[in-house]
Amino acid sequence: MSLSQSDFAFVSTLVRREAAIVLAPGKEYLVEARLIPVARQVGAGSVAEFLANLQRKPNPADQRRIIDALTTNETSWFRDREPFTALTDVVLPDLVKNRASQRRLRLWSAASSSGQEAYSLAITLQEALPTGWGYEIMGSDISTEMIKRAEAAEYSQVEVNRGLPATQLVQYFERVGAHWRIAPHLRRNVSFKHMNLTAPLPAIPPFDVIFLRNVLIYFDVATKKSVLRNVARLLRPDGWLFLGAAETTIGIDDNYERVAAGRTSAYRVRSAVPAGAVRKG
Amino acid sequence: MVIDDSRAMRMILKRIVAKLNFEAIEAGDGQEALDLLATMTEVPELALIDWNMPNMNGLEFVTKVRAEPRLREMTLVMVTTESEQSQIVRALAAGAHEYVIKPFTEGAMIEKLALLGLVPTGANS
Amino acid sequence: MSVETVVSEGDLAEMVEQVWVSYLDPEGVSPLLVTGDDGQATEVHSTVSITGSWHGHLVYACSLKAARRSAAAFLAMEEDEVSQEDISDVLGELANIVGGNVKAMLPAGCFLSLPTVVLAPDTASYYPAAERISGLYGLWDAEPVSISMWQSVKQQEATA
Repeated sequence: MSLSQSDFAFVSTLVRREAAIVLAPGKEYLVEARLIPVARQVGAGSVAEFLANLQRKPNPADQRRIIDALTTNETSWFRDREPFTALTDVVLPDLVKNRASQRRLRLWSAASSSGQEAYSLAITLQEALPTGWGYEIMGSDISTEMIKRAEAAEYSQVEVNRGLPATQLVQYFERVGAHWRIAPHLRRNVSFKHMNLTAPLPAIPPFDVIFLRNVLIYFDVATKKSVLRNVARLLRPDGWLFLGAAETTIGIDDNYERVAAGRTSAYRVRSAVPAGAVRKG
Repeated sequence: MVIDDSRAMRMILKRIVAKLNFEAIEAGDGQEALDLLATMTEVPELALIDWNMPNMNGLEFVTKVRAEPRLREMTLVMVTTESEQSQIVRALAAGAHEYVIKPFTEGAMIEKLALLGLVPTGANS
Repeated sequence: MSVETVVSEGDLAEMVEQVWVSYLDPEGVSPLLVTGDDGQATEVHSTVSITGSWHGHLVYACSLKAARRSAAAFLAMEEDEVSQEDISDVLGELANIVGGNVKAMLPAGCFLSLPTVVLAPDTASYYPAAERISGLYGLWDAEPVSISMWQSVKQQEATA
């Protein structure tokens, strides 16, 4: 049994419109697998029946459920490793120099999903920042379900196996029944907000480091442009933006420049050369 | 080297490390593994070690290996259902380099081996 | 504290999900559908016993077809290549994995036995001296699979 072409088209259009996510053809089985629990949850006999009902009588709650189910993705701790190494080796030493008077850093894990990236950032800062420094990390996601999960900070056995060194598991987690929960001293520094990156972003203080990884790949060019423009407003002038390995600002937004950071690249807002020239003059 | 009393688990682990171009030697418990190691001229790079096994358990094996200078270069990874925080601490204190809790996905195992520098770049995608 | 509150049906369900995603259904397309039918007939029973501060058994039971399918998925083989030994090994390891995780949720000081796998029809009464305290019953591609926890009756009386 596989999703019909028209049902797949309906779901694709919905997630493209609401979450700006492009579902490639060939992902029918994946869509169906993700929607089976949703259909069951709302009491529909099958995914086809659930989608038929929704097309006949649209309702925002079920649309939200579909988006939540399809924007869920598997996350590892310290995913891709290199950006975290670059943070420790290159970015933090630079920021520690620049923020010597504040002794406080703000980081944003955009599209934080179930929270692994945000807490991985917390572990990195916990280990790399000099004594006496503080930090806060904000995670954001379009899925309210994911926000709840990230705030609960509880992970299954299978999830804590993924990319997390055992020494850090025993140091930063505590076992709670069948789960592992992030220790309070880390949780204290991490918060989560519901946010749609393609809509105008709320007025919040800017960040020193933004992780926006494996998000742009889901968007079309116009949406990529608007997301990058929104994000630039929330990045401090000397801040650092990390994208996924397959993503870039090049050819999309010229306000950013790519810079080497350890064995990977990061993006920084181009220094305002004309402004500097004016000051000099 | 894959040390587990379950043949099914040894097969899974062998299949995973084969993808990373490791040739695996099997042992059904810690004693058998030590006996095998004693006969080998070339020490394996990696040992994946179950905890609960007959004759000699994995923790005892780790302790014995750590005390043996000839085996110092071997990377030791516990792969076990023992999942209490105190047990993980015990294994790390005894000298295990990493700890994978069963059940694990293939991706998780490869990520753990990558942490130990045992995965050539690009091999885990 | 009673064990029922320590290892609930929800906990068993979560372990099942983890075993499925790790070995039996990595793509996430064929989950175990919970029916709650504790009278379903099963033909293969894999048991690990827990002793120490808690006494009892964890039983992984399923039809022969589900057992064959489990072994094929676990060992990356075709179903018709699976031998009796493969079934026995894989079912034993599945009970061992769930049992080990259950043990971590019990009071400290418990030990796990090696698994015992029996390929014979049976119904609910595996352990005359034990009582079922929690269980998860469902269908996997229309084949019965269950995981249940049995506590030694003697210990129940002692702690009651």
